[in-house]
Amino acid sequence: MSYSKELLLDMYQCLLSDRLMEERLIELYAQGWVPGHIHSGVGEEASYTGVLATRKEGDQFKFTHRNVSAYHDVGLTYRHIFCEILGKMGGNSDGKGGINHIADKGKGIIGISGALAGDIPISVGVSYALKMQGGNNIVYCFFGDGTTSRGTVHEAMNWASVWKLPILFIVNNNQWSISTSASEGCSIENPGAGRAAGYNIISKVVDGTDVLSVYDGAKELTDYIRAGNGPAVLESKCYRWRGHFEGDMARYRDSKVAEEWHKKDCLKKFEQYLKENKYITDADVEKMKIDVEAEIQDGIETSEKASQPSLDTIYNNLYV
Amino acid sequence: MLVTYAQAINAAMKEEMQRDKKVVVFGEDVAQFGGIFGLTRGLLDEFGSDRVKNTPVSEDSIAGVGVGSAIGGLRPCIEIMYSDFLLVAFNEIFQSAAKWRYLHGPEYKVPLVIRSAAGSALGAGAEHSGCVESLFLHSPGLTIITPSTAYDAKGLLKSAIRSDNPVLFFEQKQLYQVKEEIPDEEYLIPVGVADVKRKGTDVTVIAIGLMVKRSLEAAEELKNEGIDVEVIDPRTIAPLDKDTVYESIRKTHRIVVVEETNKTGGLGAEFAAMFQEELYDELDGPVVRVAALDVPLPYNVKYELASIPDVKRIVSAVKSLF
Repeated sequence: MSYSKELLLDMYQCLLSDRLMEERLIELYAQGWVPGHIHSGVGEEASYTGVLATRKEGDQFKFTHRNVSAYHDVGLTYRHIFCEILGKMGGNSDGKGGINHIADKGKGIIGISGALAGDIPISVGVSYALKMQGGNNIVYCFFGDGTTSRGTVHEAMNWASVWKLPILFIVNNNQWSISTSASEGCSIENPGAGRAAGYNIISKVVDGTDVLSVYDGAKELTDYIRAGNGPAVLESKCYRWRGHFEGDMARYRDSKVAEEWHKKDCLKKFEQYLKENKYITDADVEKMKIDVEAEIQDGIETSEKASQPSLDTIYNNLYV
Repeated sequence: MLVTYAQAINAAMKEEMQRDKKVVVFGEDVAQFGGIFGLTRGLLDEFGSDRVKNTPVSEDSIAGVGVGSAIGGLRPCIEIMYSDFLLVAFNEIFQSAAKWRYLHGPEYKVPLVIRSAAGSALGAGAEHSGCVESLFLHSPGLTIITPSTAYDAKGLLKSAIRSDNPVLFFEQKQLYQVKEEIPDEEYLIPVGVADVKRKGTDVTVIAIGLMVKRSLEAAEELKNEGIDVEVIDPRTIAPLDKDTVYESIRKTHRIVVVEETNKTGGLGAEFAAMFQEELYDELDGPVVRVAALDVPLPYNVKYELASIPDVKRIVSAVKSLF
């Protein structure tokens, strides 16, 4: 496949931003800044960035509790994201949703169900609405290997297949579901792609540590879906670098395996590729880092200054 | 025009689908078959297979896809065959439908109606006869409607479909064939407004669903014994029309709640707590609950009839307050 310079640099910008954001969240959590939990997506950014690089205006997205950094890829500001993480005004829910319900309807965010996989049929419902609208927009529905064990995933895939709906199911297989390895939760090698054929759905497995591999797979499948052929499943293989949540020391697994996976760093790999092919220089990277870090810092400071929601609005938004 | 309760509901869906292209109907067997109780007959022919669709046997996802289509801009009026099966989809309804807007922000809305057939049907058994409204009462964000007449059913379903909030619409199986004269011209009944089905002075009977008819029969019997019963049909259980109900309680000072739900944790349980807490000084006695016995509804019809409140039990409950 050939890639335009614009596409490559956009992808790099997103990958770098996502990595810096994921790293910053780890730091912030360690400082006690975050109310609630962080489920770090550090190391898994390519699964999101590579897929999202295929998006079009009007597409809809269902993210997960991990890789909160990915919201920025689709246009949410760090100000918004941090305000929502702190439960302050300036996010999307006036303090009612928090980190697991970061959203922006205008940017196509569907939202998330707190019960894993509650939002998979919901995503299918959104794809039905898109199909009724006409046009070639699709739903990007992200979830993990562990989530694939829930019944609603199977119902949703079957349903999307029989109704021929425009939805890409992206199974980000980071091989761990808290302390349960993928093989402990699923008896086949590929919990996403391996089941697709059972629903008469096409699928691809891609290397989640290589953003171009992810992009290639996503491009092929999204083109297929946009042409009206029905759903597809993309399984991205990577590894959960840290514990399930910050504070989880992951003592239940072999840390040597994790160390090996850290070497397959999607950001370093892509940086090297771009430098070798003369798309960017060290100086470019430095400048981008500084700019992103400043943007993240601005988001943090804005959220710190943002106001608390007022108690007398606690009943707001329960009903229209 | 003279219509059955079922025909009134069918007409409501038809009219709303004619009015607004975004209204879609899906569920098991709702397309060509017209639904297991015939409620969606004719809709496929008139509106086509993009808007009237059979689903796989996946109740959890029927509700979930309903939520998603609503978030995505459609106005789904979906059917889950038996209200008992709403429990299969409990997470999607209690959590997702009810909470999506609150958690994600005011840009999101879930204009979803889930219709289902509730109540005993003489031998349908424990898992096809349920009245499960009270379980959903516990979820802030849900609107719960239980019409007891064809007139109410039509007006309320139209309003439910036009509402931008998620609505559970409980139909009673034993009412489907009951005929009533309803207006030819279009009418709507607002959500959240109760109906005084019989004015009275001595006792307030709040009755739900099939129990409205039985309570009215009980009221006729009690008239002969000198007790003048006011029968209120809440029509919308959540949000409850407290104005109408409280006005009645302030007049009669005696309350009986009659429901087909099991007694423990039923609607009466919540209403009784509410009334005694907020109107204690107005009460001349405890809030009496007449409800289904706390057993899974047995199959034997004799058992079934004994489990569910009948006129005799309602009369006896009212008399206990005098």
